[in-house]
Amino acid sequence: MKKILLSIVVAVLIALWLIPLLWLIITSLKLENDVVTDHLTLFSASPTFKNYIKAMTTTPIKQWLLNSFFVASVTTVLTLFLDSTMAFVLSRMRFRGRKALYLFVLAGMMAPFESMIIQLYLEFNTFKLLNTLAAVIIPRLALPVGVFILTQFFNGIPTALEEAAYIDGASRFKVFTSVILPLGKSAMFAVAILSFIGSWNDFLWPLISISNSAKYTVTVGIANFQGTHGTEYALIMAGAVIASIPQILIFLFFRKNIVQGIAMTGIKG
Amino acid sequence: MQSRKPGLYSCSAGFRFFEWRYYYMHLAAHTKRDLILFSAPFLLVYMAFLVFPVVYGIYLSFFDWNILSGKVFVGFRNFVQAFSDEKFKSSFFHTLQFVALSTPILIVVGFLMALISVRPTKLGKTAESIFFLPYMFSTTVVGTLWAWLLQKNFGLVNQLLQAIGLKGVGWLTDPNIAMLSIVMATLWWTAGFNMILFSAGMKQIPDEIYESARLDGAGKFVTLTRITIPLLKDTTLLVVILQIIASFKVFGQVYVMTGGGPYGTTRVLVQYVYETGFNYFKLGYASAMSMILFFVILVISAAQLLSSKDEGQ
Amino acid sequence: MKKNRLVLALGLILMALMTVGAQKPIEISFWSLFTGGDGEFFDAMVKAFNESQNEIVMKTDTVKFTNYYTKLTAALSAKNAPDVVVVHQSQLVNYVPNGVFLPLDEYVQKAKIDLSTFSPAPLNSCKFDGKLYAIPLDVHPLVMYYNKDLMAKAGVTKVPETLSELISAAKAIQDKTGAIGIALDNTTATYKAYTLTRMFMSLLMEQNTTILDASNKRANFNNEAGVKAYQALSDMVNKYKLVPKQLDYDSSVSSFKLGKAGFHFNGVWTVGAFESQSGLNFGVVQFPALLGKNAGWTDSHTFAVPVQKTIDPDRIMAVMKFIDWMTQHGEMWAKAGHIPTRTTVYSKPEFKNLPHRAEYADAAKNTFSAPATPKWGELYDAISDSLEESIALNKDAKAALDQLEKKVNDILK
Repeated sequence: MKKILLSIVVAVLIALWLIPLLWLIITSLKLENDVVTDHLTLFSASPTFKNYIKAMTTTPIKQWLLNSFFVASVTTVLTLFLDSTMAFVLSRMRFRGRKALYLFVLAGMMAPFESMIIQLYLEFNTFKLLNTLAAVIIPRLALPVGVFILTQFFNGIPTALEEAAYIDGASRFKVFTSVILPLGKSAMFAVAILSFIGSWNDFLWPLISISNSAKYTVTVGIANFQGTHGTEYALIMAGAVIASIPQILIFLFFRKNIVQGIAMTGIKG
Repeated sequence: MQSRKPGLYSCSAGFRFFEWRYYYMHLAAHTKRDLILFSAPFLLVYMAFLVFPVVYGIYLSFFDWNILSGKVFVGFRNFVQAFSDEKFKSSFFHTLQFVALSTPILIVVGFLMALISVRPTKLGKTAESIFFLPYMFSTTVVGTLWAWLLQKNFGLVNQLLQAIGLKGVGWLTDPNIAMLSIVMATLWWTAGFNMILFSAGMKQIPDEIYESARLDGAGKFVTLTRITIPLLKDTTLLVVILQIIASFKVFGQVYVMTGGGPYGTTRVLVQYVYETGFNYFKLGYASAMSMILFFVILVISAAQLLSSKDEGQ
Repeated sequence: MKKNRLVLALGLILMALMTVGAQKPIEISFWSLFTGGDGEFFDAMVKAFNESQNEIVMKTDTVKFTNYYTKLTAALSAKNAPDVVVVHQSQLVNYVPNGVFLPLDEYVQKAKIDLSTFSPAPLNSCKFDGKLYAIPLDVHPLVMYYNKDLMAKAGVTKVPETLSELISAAKAIQDKTGAIGIALDNTTATYKAYTLTRMFMSLLMEQNTTILDASNKRANFNNEAGVKAYQALSDMVNKYKLVPKQLDYDSSVSSFKLGKAGFHFNGVWTVGAFESQSGLNFGVVQFPALLGKNAGWTDSHTFAVPVQKTIDPDRIMAVMKFIDWMTQHGEMWAKAGHIPTRTTVYSKPEFKNLPHRAEYADAAKNTFSAPATPKWGELYDAISDSLEESIALNKDAKAALDQLEKKVNDILK
């Protein structure tokens, strides 16, 4: 009985969470003039794909999606490498000033990004890297949040397996790749999501650093659907759906893989 | 049976690391090299592209600079000005309001979501995906969607309320409710990420511990409070710190949903920093205010981190 | 036979070489802040320009308005800005004194652009220290929209011109049709509630009062004129209850668009949106002389030429040609609702045939711009917040103006 009640509560929560998403999709299928109505219209009388067609044909959104995909993928892979190696140091090596270094690394995620824009812009201008996808990728590579998450998780991994490896004469690098990383898989996944989504949804920096709209990432591109003198909801929602589908697909696809991976390594205790 | 709990490993392991160096010569010989090789990639990129802009920003906060002309040195004047600036104080207060409201809600809800989603049932898996889905959307999209849902005269929520005979609410236009609405939108958007962190932590707890608890006759609630929550200490610390930092830096969705209104009652500090720098061309002052915010976040996070490490040891 | 073919082949190759060597069009880079409806009209114009000749190709990049100036400022700081940019006239004062835009007088002469064909007021507002730093494309003033059907239904026969006429007309519409009397946005949401400030400034100007004093160093509205201006606005909302409280910009526009409001105060830029609404029978006039003579707030979109690392006269001349063409084809831009700045456009049949445009073209005569002080950005926001708050909390004129004056003077210190 309790179980059924619980299931109902969960189902209701899921439904509540879905409502804004459904409204997003419904709005995207309406004609612009049908969006704002003075009476409740849950469903459009004649749903149309006009907004999607407009988004796909009047803007280089396909190019933007490719750019986003490239940027987010490269960022994620490099970030996992940079962050996990740093986390290994902070979690598994002891040296004077370790705590200070940890705080120094974490401090990086505390400064609001908006206060760094001009400095970054001038820096990249000096390196002549503006208006390149590299400029979009680089600032997000050293992700302090990733180091934080991985360090905390690595801290929770028992040392028994490492001990065994070290006794056998393994180097730190071997232990890192064959013991720590596999055991920290779920945390690596969390950092990968964070990195990929953060990169994909990055707005202000790509906007400022890229001056050629063909090199925009999709988040920057669809922001321009916001009109100068009025909000065109249907078009914005359609753009949002198009821009988010790739991420959603990737998440759903990798979700299964990682869950299987964890189960197969049989890491429990 | 092992009496050591996972959370204490790092402390006792730390002691053992030093032992290892004496036992395993190959480790001792390469310590310095490994230290450098493992940390260099991150630190190089970090110093060049995160530390440098922040340090440059600190430097700028001692100047008056309109970005397009020369800098004028003004010493500490920007900082002094901030403390007598009504708009700075109110913006800072609004940020604090947001932190106070959003942090507990987002942590508790994230935890509850994790409890739901770790169940191997179909419902659990569906819940996990649906709760996490909103996190994929960008700030602007979430802000615009919720601004539209909560719009006073034509939004869905008020139209639903009116359809059942109730009056519409000024979700984003009533100064008493606006901040709560923003918290609500933020909850929908990001609670899923806290869920992922909590469930990753839950998955690390060995089954044996739950087995033995069950054999000892512990009920669901006791298991939850005496076993799960204490064992999630590291994860909880992580979630709390991340949430506080994120809440202090809030800007995007507020800007889109209310523009800081009504009449500036939801203007958060980062919005004021942004407008001061780019709309009012006072980058020096904007940098000074950013530094103050940065310092506050640093102190709070450091306090939490250091106090919890002591607990463990 | 073979020799003939060889000659033919050589001839073809020669021709190919000649066309390749022939003049390649100059590519001019350009940033605009026109998105949405505005953007569509503007892009159509740029396309038409590119198609009308083959020496210059304009490559436009658009940035959403709320981030446009951030991006522009960053680019200007490193001399990375494109060849030509759109800048609001009210923003020029933030850029020109820092030397980031080129003075255009000599180039205008060389390109033979006839400045006498421009409306004098918008053109003069682009001059600093006697030099011309931008060329105006349009003016977009505050106007009043009215719903003809609702007026007829309520028995209002004359479009209001005085404050009392407006109040009684709006009241009649509200009482007899149930619609909103006046749709005037008074709360900040996605868009800031600037309309209140624009009206306040206009009402002051109707009484010959500028919002700041002549030197732009002190507030100039805590006086009888200010009281009248504030009271007029506050009464509409609080005393006569003709304006719904907590009405944001999008709602205000939507209310009028759906035929749910008798009168609507806004800029000319929403004309296009209202025209696309089938069944909406509306008219538009310059901002009425509610408290004195006619005076309406306006801003203006201008073209400015950023200073580059090296000055390339050919590129600048290309830009001049572009600006000349765009301003001369103002009737295309007028489709977005904005008022063209070249008087030659007014006589074109395409312009005359656009509905409503002639109705408010007078508005261009009685407009005024924001004070030319670099602190205007901060002042504009502060005044907006303060007026918004005072009206929402129904503060009396003295309290409201005292608070506003203090805020303004603090910023100007």
